[in-house]
Amino acid sequence: MIELAHFQIVSGALFAVGMYGVLARRSAVLVLMSIELMLNAVNLNLIASAVFIDPSKFTGLIIAIFVITVAAAEVGLALAIVLRLFRSRATINLDEIELMKW
Amino acid sequence: MPTMEWAWLIPVLSFAAFPIIAIGGKFLPGKGSFLAILAIAAGFVLFWFVAIDRIRLGASGVDFFTQRWFEAGSVTLSWGMIIDPLTIVMLGLVTFVALMIQIYSLSYMKGDSRFGWYFAVHSFFAASMLTLVLADNFLLLYVAWELVGLCSYLLIGFWYERRSAAEAAKKAFVTTRIADVALLVGILLLFKEVGSFSMSDTFREAQALMAGGESLLTSGTATAAAILLFIGAMGKSAQVPFHVWLPDAMEGPTPVSALIHAATMVVAGVFLVARAFPLFQASPDALLIVASVGLVTTLVAATMALVATDLKRILAYSTVSHLGLMMLSLGAFGYTAAIFHLLAHGFSKALLFLGAGSVMHGANQTDIRQMGGLRKVMPITALTFAIGALSLGGMPVFAGFWSKDEILLSVLDNRHGVFIALTLVAVFLSALYMARAYFVAFLGDLKEENRKAHESPLFMALPLVLLAVLAAVFGFIALEWTSDFTGIGSFLFYDKPHGFEFNVALGVGSTAITVAAFALAWAAYRTGALSLTPFKRGFFPLIKLAENGYFFDHLYQWTIDRLVLVFSGFIAWFDRVVVNDAGVDGPANSVRHSSFSLRRHVTGRVYNYALGMVVGAVGVAVAWWALVLGR
Repeated sequence: MIELAHFQIVSGALFAVGMYGVLARRSAVLVLMSIELMLNAVNLNLIASAVFIDPSKFTGLIIAIFVITVAAAEVGLALAIVLRLFRSRATINLDEIELMKW
Repeated sequence: MPTMEWAWLIPVLSFAAFPIIAIGGKFLPGKGSFLAILAIAAGFVLFWFVAIDRIRLGASGVDFFTQRWFEAGSVTLSWGMIIDPLTIVMLGLVTFVALMIQIYSLSYMKGDSRFGWYFAVHSFFAASMLTLVLADNFLLLYVAWELVGLCSYLLIGFWYERRSAAEAAKKAFVTTRIADVALLVGILLLFKEVGSFSMSDTFREAQALMAGGESLLTSGTATAAAILLFIGAMGKSAQVPFHVWLPDAMEGPTPVSALIHAATMVVAGVFLVARAFPLFQASPDALLIVASVGLVTTLVAATMALVATDLKRILAYSTVSHLGLMMLSLGAFGYTAAIFHLLAHGFSKALLFLGAGSVMHGANQTDIRQMGGLRKVMPITALTFAIGALSLGGMPVFAGFWSKDEILLSVLDNRHGVFIALTLVAVFLSALYMARAYFVAFLGDLKEENRKAHESPLFMALPLVLLAVLAAVFGFIALEWTSDFTGIGSFLFYDKPHGFEFNVALGVGSTAITVAAFALAWAAYRTGALSLTPFKRGFFPLIKLAENGYFFDHLYQWTIDRLVLVFSGFIAWFDRVVVNDAGVDGPANSVRHSSFSLRRHVTGRVYNYALGMVVGAVGVAVAWWALVLGR
């Protein structure tokens, strides 16, 4: 019998993997992919919770759809930024990009 | 409507002349000088109307005209004037002497590059002094008091291109300002105790105190206030130890010296003590101080006048000496005598200074040893100067004799025997230095270089003659003329009217002293029958002391150099190092340095920021868990 806790464990593990990727990776594209992983972990948690706690309500499912939509937009934008960065600097290594300082 | 209420016009006319001449003078004929003379002449005419009105109304007339100025909380400030006999005689003195001096200045200052400005400030000076004598509250008096100081600064430093003139102006201003602080404190003390700046309120309390009734003043505060007011008066009236500015003040044009010495500025101090006499009378201690300071001043200054060789300097020390005599008289309850002497001295001293100016104009000399025999080339100046010298020396029938005698009388009646003895010494010295100045400068052989000296033009001679007439006959108002007017004491008095008083023994004694002084001077300086050499050798240290002004100037210079400047150097260091570097720049620098080091955490690398977010989120989660769930 698969219970809510199983989904939450998988979701948490997925989130942790994504977080590690965001913090540890130096390639902008890989960081973006890790962010997607974290978002999907959240989605999994939302959907599982919605189904297990009260199947008659769709609140969690609707939020998940919102997250997917926003994630799609975000990836589109972020990839555009990465593309511009690569055009202007010929690198997407985050170690060499220090634009966000004083 | 009484004419008296129009008395405010007297100063206002001259005040109005100041900006007109100062701004528009150069477009007017005579650079606007006629406006100044017109204003003060109108004031002089108005004075007669006011005086006649005052005399007609007698003592029962209205004294105070007060207009509300503004209110601040429970305090009401007002403009206003007192018109009592004291004001009347001062108005007369100031308007007349100022008028004479302005007419004289027309010739004396001719061709000066700042001719218009001279007359503008002259008007301002007279107007300030007139306001001072009219003021019915201490605040207005203080304003006028400071304006007088400012004008004297401007006029003493009139030829400010000369370094000595600029220095003298500064010295006069600073010295009197130091004393003015005491005056201000005294006024504020009275305000605190009485709750009003009004003189009538203050004096009512003082009289209640003296009568032993209920009063807002205690004898302690009355004494303190009287002494503080007197310190202010000492500064203006050049009493020891504040006298140092007056001899230097002759750096200004000579007519200015005449104005300062005779009618404005220095008499303001004597006037203040006379005006505040109810307060002084409520405090015997303060009056004793007034008398003692006056006595010391009169003796110290008389000895310095005796050894001075500069004609104007002799006159300046003589002024200090006579101001001391007036203060002594006030301190000996001689209210009438002091003011009477103020008037007599005012006319005589204006005359003498204008005479000295005439000598400088005609012979271009200031040192009396370089003059000699000027009588032959400048007859009018010599004659009028002689009258002034006789009056100031206290020769009978001249003005100074009568007033001096009244002073001696009050000192004899009200003070210890030491006072009268030393006053008689001062009388002797006073006659001696005036005689010396006159004999050395005007009699004797005419020096070769003075042959070309010439008598002064009409505008300068006319005021001399008018003032000489006054110096000769003014004293007769001391006598009994009608049953209503029994001497000046029946008009100008403090407590109760008193007629002409004459102590025959004292009168004869003082006359003998005066005549002896003149005779001694004649023998010593004119005929040479009496050789001064052994005397000079015997009293060499004393003479040196007097020639150096009793080292007051040296003492002050030493104080300034060794104490004031050293202390201000320390203060400057403290300000620069502690206040500025540590106090102001210190915090600013620490903020700057800490922000330079703190900004190192802003790396610009996106994963550092992400880590921050994670740490923050975990922190929030842990806190939430600990605080909300864990409870």
